[in-house]
Amino acid sequence: MFGGGQGVLLSSCETERGGKVVWRVFQDSVMLIAVNGGQGGGGGSSRGEELSLQRLLENVWSSMVLVLGQDELASVRNVERLKRDLRSCFSLIDQLLEEKQEGIMGNLTHCADCLVPPNPTLLQEAVENFTQAADSEFGCLMVHGRIAVATEKWWRLAPQEVVLLSALMRSLSASGSASCDYPVFLPHGSPTVAHRLLRFQLLPGADVCVLCGPTPSLLRAETTLVGRFWLPLADTLRDCLAVGERCLPGSVSLRPDVLALLLINRETRRSVSCVRASSDSSVPSRARCWELLKLFYIFSTTRYFSQEETLCVSPEEKPQRSSCEDFAPGFSHQPLQCYLVTEECKCYTLQTPQHQLFLLTPLSVPTFALRTVATHTLSAITAATGF
Amino acid sequence: MAPVPQPGAAVVADWHRDADSREFFSRILHKKRRRKFSLLESPVMPPHLAVDTVHYKVFISGKSGVGKTALAARLAGRSIPSMHYETTGIETTVVYWPVKLRESGRVLFFRLQLWDCGENALRRFDHLLPSCKEQLDAVLFLFSFTDRTSFDDLSNQIAKWSGPSDRLVKLVVGTKYDLFMHSDVTEREVTRFQEEWGSPVLRTGGEVSDGLGDVAALLNGLAENLWHQDCVAASQHSQQATGTLI
Repeated sequence: MFGGGQGVLLSSCETERGGKVVWRVFQDSVMLIAVNGGQGGGGGSSRGEELSLQRLLENVWSSMVLVLGQDELASVRNVERLKRDLRSCFSLIDQLLEEKQEGIMGNLTHCADCLVPPNPTLLQEAVENFTQAADSEFGCLMVHGRIAVATEKWWRLAPQEVVLLSALMRSLSASGSASCDYPVFLPHGSPTVAHRLLRFQLLPGADVCVLCGPTPSLLRAETTLVGRFWLPLADTLRDCLAVGERCLPGSVSLRPDVLALLLINRETRRSVSCVRASSDSSVPSRARCWELLKLFYIFSTTRYFSQEETLCVSPEEKPQRSSCEDFAPGFSHQPLQCYLVTEECKCYTLQTPQHQLFLLTPLSVPTFALRTVATHTLSAITAATGF
Repeated sequence: MAPVPQPGAAVVADWHRDADSREFFSRILHKKRRRKFSLLESPVMPPHLAVDTVHYKVFISGKSGVGKTALAARLAGRSIPSMHYETTGIETTVVYWPVKLRESGRVLFFRLQLWDCGENALRRFDHLLPSCKEQLDAVLFLFSFTDRTSFDDLSNQIAKWSGPSDRLVKLVVGTKYDLFMHSDVTEREVTRFQEEWGSPVLRTGGEVSDGLGDVAALLNGLAENLWHQDCVAASQHSQQATGTLI
């Protein structure tokens, strides 16, 4: 704030003990400040930490808009009232801070976490018909907190909105309620007019939702539509639930030397990720693998690969941000692959025009074989699922 | 408020303790805890014990922070959220509860769908309350034993819901009864309220136990009132039109 008065742009700072403070002003009205304790994630690099904190700020702001709408935040009439109203965002914000559910990468990557169902055609058809019957074009089926299928319009929402709506659905689903009617503002598509998010728990772990206008009422949608469209598909849904946190159907056979992977489709902004269960004590635990996967993602995207620019940066802010981004990479070429050998595992990234694959393998895999493992894995997944 | 049946007059109170109820209650339990029912699921009985299910919509009313979401969770046998978060829209919870009618000895599954909506959301978005009122069968008016104002506001709340021709069961539930050390509402006041409104005040609070004992009184009371309302309506209906049965 002091620097701003002098015409200086200061975007973050560090404390003596390695803590990092990042802030940003949204809509010329609200300043959000994120502080981390230092040892936290970021691939050990200061830029990595900054990336995850920046993402956090964006996500928190967007959740505030999602719940309260932009008008209320941009033109504050009564601060005390706003403080009280902001309480309704706490549930979502806490979820972003805690990152309780393992294997959800979307908050960081801004790509929707997906699950590839074994029988997508039937489910796709059901979601489309159900959505249409609910007077909507935006519908989506979530399984284990990840998108299994969605209507075309759902995928046309801004990637960050898809990620946030998924987060909201996860928290609603975790509360164990059977159905919901939540007013939501779309941070990019409709920041000032609320839509209704109707969510129905079909089976434990499987939720369908639609974004709609004034009709149908929650009661009518539930009594006339849910049973009609989904009861015949109960077994298909169970098959889909059986995929579990692997997120990939049985038809994809992964090589035994893949510990964990994150695959991003750069065009569709979707991702699948999984960690393989292993009883071998020489490899990191599941929880550690998820952590390593995140750190490696941050490491490679801040050092070598450009991130897909989906940040909610306003046009006037863009030049400032790009000026500091041009600075860092220092490469005259665009890297396509990178690898990293650590004390815990080996990591490999592969980038093609359409995909980014982040892979963890045990230390026992020879480094020269990493590339082969990665290319095989990528083609195995894309060939079997068309992801 | 409409005359309320004497507790235990229409349904068998504490039926879950009887041996003959085990067959039925086992359908809503899983590993000694309450089973959670999603929309495509319901308790399945063997063919020789087929039981009818009656559906009701119940709205939970009360000021912010009084414990609406916690009550819904308790009645469904879910763990009660440790943090208080505002409910920023409508959330519904499905509760299945087997009930034995005293007179006929017939067993019914009550499917109670509890509608819970945060007070602030109701105020900010006009469309939520009509949605909650659509085809409603009962309202639970909540007050908290630790919040005096929520008790004082009860009569206002109840008055808001009394239409001329409504068929609506109205029950009052006091929450956080376990925190009697911090109680803001005295026993005498509760008794006076009961006499004035001719309606019992149900109580809830404390740890969730096996999910049956701590909710049986409330769920049986609610079921009894709902059943009674239907019987009254049915008898009126059959007096008017000749003998159509619901």
